[in-house]
Parts: sequence; C-alpha cells; structure tokens
Amino acid sequence: MIKFGRLILFTLPTVVCSMAQESPYFVTYNHHMEEPGNLDIEVSSTTNVPRSGQKYYFAPYTEFEYGVTARWTTELYLEGQSTYGDSTIFTGWRIENRFRPLKREHWINPVLYLEYENLSEASRIQKEIEGGAPDVSSPNAELRQMKVHELETKLIVSRDVHDWNLAGNFIVAKNFSQSAGFEFGYALGFSRPLATLASGTNCRFCRENFSAGMELYGGLGSTLGFGLHDTAHYAAPVVAWLVSDNTTLRFSTGVGLTHESSPVLFRFGYSYEIQGIGNKLSRLFGAKR
Amino acid sequence: MTRPVLMGLGCFLGLFAAMMGQNPAYQPDPDWRAPEEAASKPNPLANRPAAAAGGKKLFLRNCAECHGEDGSGILKKHSADLQLAVVQEEKDGVLYWKITNGNPDRGMPSFSKLPELERWQLVLFLRTLKPAEKQP
Repeated sequence: MIKFGRLILFTLPTVVCSMAQESPYFVTYNHHMEEPGNLDIEVSSTTNVPRSGQKYYFAPYTEFEYGVTARWTTELYLEGQSTYGDSTIFTGWRIENRFRPLKREHWINPVLYLEYENLSEASRIQKEIEGGAPDVSSPNAELRQMKVHELETKLIVSRDVHDWNLAGNFIVAKNFSQSAGFEFGYALGFSRPLATLASGTNCRFCRENFSAGMELYGGLGSTLGFGLHDTAHYAAPVVAWLVSDNTTLRFSTGVGLTHESSPVLFRFGYSYEIQGIGNKLSRLFGAKR
Repeated sequence: MTRPVLMGLGCFLGLFAAMMGQNPAYQPDPDWRAPEEAASKPNPLANRPAAAAGGKKLFLRNCAECHGEDGSGILKKHSADLQLAVVQEEKDGVLYWKITNGNPDRGMPSFSKLPELERWQLVLFLRTLKPAEKQP
C-alpha cells in the first residue's frame, strides 16, 4: 500500500505541472493530428476493478505528442504500474508515429500508424488490446522478466459527420520476443461536443467545452488462433472537458464484456498543450515575436 | 570551446528573432482552391453577427499562434496575412473550406475537429479583421 501511495505521489507533481485540447478517446485514434509545432504533454492512468483472485492496480503513463508536420505526429510514452500488495515498477516505453496520407478531408480519412514498444509483460496501461487478454494475475517480479519488443501497426479510419466523429482502428502487432505470431485487435469510437456554437465569453463550464462519446475495444486473437475466444473486450463511455485553452481532462469507465476482461477499467487523463514550442523557446532566450 | 558555442547560439537566436515579424509578403498557394460546390456555401450565421465574438475566442485559441492575434500572419510561420484583400475577397464558403481542410503543404492543419458552426464562427470573425490604418 505504501508503494501504491508512493506512485500516486510521484505522479501528482507531474500532473500539476503538466496539463490538451484532445478528443475524448483513450484507446481509439481518429484522423485529427497534433497541430505542427505543438507539444502535447499528457498524464493518464488506467485502474481496474479486479475479479476474484486478481489485485487492484494503478498504471500511470506520460505521453509526449509532437506535431512534426500537419500530416505527421510522433509520440513517446513512458509507463509504469503499481499493484496492490505487490510492487511498483517501470514497465517500459513506446514510440509511435502517425501519418496521414491524404491532404484533404474525404468521406473517409485513413491514417497509418507505426509503433515500437519496449515493455515488459507487466505493462497494464492497456492503451490498446491485441491478441488475448493481458495477464493481470501473475506477480510483477515474474512478469517484469518477460520482455516485449513489439512492432505494432494500425489502420485508422475516421470521418466527421456533421459534428460527430466516427473512428475505427484495426491493429496488427508482432512481438519479436515471443513466438506468439501476429496479434490482432480493434477499437471503435464515436464522439460529439455537447454544444456546437462557441460563446463569446471565456466560460469554463459551458457545454461547448465538453465532449462525450463511446469506445469499444478488444483483442481478436492471433495467427495462432484468430477470433474472440479468450479475449478481452470493453465498452467505455468517454467524456472530455476543455478546462482552459490548452488543458483537457478526460475520463472513461470501461465495462468488461467478457470473462477475460476486468469488470471495470477506469481511465483518467490530464493533458496540457504547448502551442508553438519552438517559438516559446526562442522567446525564452529573448527573441521578439 | 564555450565562445563558439555561445556565438552559434546567438546567431541562431538572432535568426529566430529576425524571422518572427509579420508576413505582409504572403503569397497565396495557387493550388489551394476550394471546389465550386464548397465555395458557394453560404454562412449559416451570416445574420448573427454577435456570433463573431465566439469566433474571436476560437481564433485566439486555434489560429493566433500562427496568424498572430490580429491575423496579420507571422513571417517565420509563412502564415497568411488574413487582413490582405486577397484573403478578405474570398467567399465565405472558400474560407470555411480552407479552415476545414487545411493546407498541409504550407503547414496549415485541418480544423475539421471543430464543430461546423464553430468553423463558420471563425469565418464571421475573419471578416472583422482589418488593417489597423483602415479602421475608422
């Protein structure tokens, strides 16, 4: 319990110092990229309600998302987890890149996604679910010894229909550390702002600052056994609140749909977007606008 | 060893400062053209000028970083001077289409993530941008 509390204390200062104008999704990606030159720093966490025989865990992660160009976004993730009655550990890092091949908005907008993961099997953030269900029963000491060097690709398709965003992701992942074959997963999402006309005042609690939606995500097995058997699936209402021009809070309660899923997954995210970080750095050193 | 590094840093920062001015020399991208169907769309908020206040808020939040708070553009960003006649003479539908699609070749992202009415609010606000010397 002390270690569990220590991880929360370790995470809080980061949360206070970093705070982004984000879609409400935690797992599903849509075709909206980070604006070029902007850095989005996000601290998020995944917490479970365990089944009998499992333990509570708290899995925080920090995400640095940078818009390289209008069609290319790159991200770095650092993640850890703390399991009640077990230990608190760093579980690894990920680098991901998203490319938008088409210049204009179309009826459907594809985005190509490529990620390298250097993790351990103790990773519990469940940023995506592929293959079977993650192991949340074995002790951390055992799981951290099992390294995961994984290449993951996604085909992201997304469109905006009036004020609704509809997005779907198909995931293919290959873990080079194990002979698990290629693993598959999916994520689907829809969301909408609660109001579509901006007021002229800087209100914080107006409906225009809130968006809500739903995510559905899970694993689809692997080349060794494709399908829904022994896989985890979640249905998760999501909500986002634009607290200030560059600060967003997000929350999701994912309900497990299969026996391999946790009964409930709580996700919380707090993000801060630094616009034009290059310009900000130059101003810091005295350059005039 | 330290001096060359400092001189290099100074040159770099000087270059940054020189590049940060407004962008009166903005040249529109001739290939960035709205389809006729999109260009002819009328602004549904045209008879609600008060909605421009919301447009201003959205502009400051989403656009000012590149176009400047007065919309005059920033040279370093190669961003459009939105006060120029070449921009102001565009139809509402063209501005809406450009906000929606962006122009990735010139670094302008798509803002389709904003609700449709908010994008029309931005168009309303863009109409209020005038060069300082021309304001009454």
